[in-house]
Amino acid sequence: MEERGTLGKLAAIIPGLALMVGTLAVLRLYVEPWMGEVTLFGVKGWLVKVLSLNYILLSIITGMLFRNFIFGGRIPAWAEEGFRTTRLFIKTGVIMLGSLYTLQTLLKLGVSAAVLILGFVFGTVFLVMFLGRMMKVDRSVTAVMAAACGVCGVSAAVAAAPGVRARPVDLALAIATILGFGILTMFISPFIGTALNLSDFQYGAWVGTGILNSGQVLATCLAFNPNIAPGTAVAYGEVWNVVRVISIPFVVFAITVWYWKGEADAKKASLSKILVSKFPVFVLGFFGMTALSSLGMLGAEGSETLHLLRTFMAWIFGIGLVGQGAYIDFREIKAAGGKPLRIGIIAGTTKYILALIVILLFMPKEVGF
Amino acid sequence: MSEKKQSMTVFRSDRHEDVAAMIFAGLVVLFVLGYMAFIVPEVHVTAAMDGKVASILVQSGTEVKKGDTIYTLEVVEKKWVNNVMQENTVIKDITVKADGKVLDVPAKVGDKVKKSKNTIIVLNHVKGTLP
Repeated sequence: MEERGTLGKLAAIIPGLALMVGTLAVLRLYVEPWMGEVTLFGVKGWLVKVLSLNYILLSIITGMLFRNFIFGGRIPAWAEEGFRTTRLFIKTGVIMLGSLYTLQTLLKLGVSAAVLILGFVFGTVFLVMFLGRMMKVDRSVTAVMAAACGVCGVSAAVAAAPGVRARPVDLALAIATILGFGILTMFISPFIGTALNLSDFQYGAWVGTGILNSGQVLATCLAFNPNIAPGTAVAYGEVWNVVRVISIPFVVFAITVWYWKGEADAKKASLSKILVSKFPVFVLGFFGMTALSSLGMLGAEGSETLHLLRTFMAWIFGIGLVGQGAYIDFREIKAAGGKPLRIGIIAGTTKYILALIVILLFMPKEVGF
Repeated sequence: MSEKKQSMTVFRSDRHEDVAAMIFAGLVVLFVLGYMAFIVPEVHVTAAMDGKVASILVQSGTEVKKGDTIYTLEVVEKKWVNNVMQENTVIKDITVKADGKVLDVPAKVGDKVKKSKNTIIVLNHVKGTLP
């Protein structure tokens, strides 16, 4: 391959990047608003509210359509360099995700709730690691699945993937498993919640702990109680979910250390040396952003400044996710077999049922925040 | 294992990509803060949450200070009391996030508004503050 100068490299990026940005623009400006207006089964915006078809999922799906149908199985040469910026956008999005959270939000929740959530997060991570070892599944696949099942699905899996050198197909399997599981639980949870006479607080806490994907937590809470206000299922579910999302860097760190320890053992190299040279340092950016947010340096909560920052974040994530979808090859998913799927379903179901039992036994109907 | 890593980056290494992502995120933050603090001529302050505008406490030309209540919103809150769901309509005070002067008030009392969608006031904020 001929050597290109900096300008040549930048020029080579433009066509693919333009396709990613253009695709996202169409999805966000036209497709998503249209879906929000369409009435299906008597519910306005059913596609968005029930199937959770937001721009995140649409971006991944469209990327997958590009590769597997329009491009005939591989990204064409003219777009290849542009699509290789995918991880840059995703890592930048993960860093900016830190702006959503403050230490003050965590303190609101209370120690016992935080311990419960983190117990479930790390318990699921260990369960997936155990199952992966038992079923002799590739460590990269296990690592991404552990992040996906332990924390909150897509963003955790995306954040963990670069650090454990996961292939796009590993990520695709993890995402497909948790989203499939999430769709199933999204439909049955409101019925279970009503049948057990759960309060908004109990329901939000259960769903926020037991359902794997952030978007689906939101949708499942809204299916139980469509009101969006303090004191409703969605308000509690989101606070619960926030703690899980905040744990992303810690989980990514633990999983990365686990993965590289295995690599170090295999290569008989020092773990510390491998971590120094390989640890995904962008995770530190997430902490930095949360620190800035906690200090109020990004604008007050509810301000137009934070709103604009989050709009940028959504676009950056979306561009990366179109690219991410384009790296998912259906043939590779087929070749990967059913073991990762089984691990995801066992871990997800265990977490979902255990969370309900714990909530029923220990959570009151109401809390004071 | 090392052979399976695909070339998924335009950078020399993953570490270079990590640093580039941190710089990119930093630049985006600097741009947004700089734009909102010094460049944007007027800010459209949108609804803080879904609800109905109960009252508007400012008008065109009003000087406001950070923390002043500029409008109130009627929102529905649900609470469980003795295993029974109770719906309460409550009035929420919404404050302004930066000092400035109100240029326009497009919202009217009684308007149903959606969070981050409907403009309540247009503000000319003091340069250097984050509205």
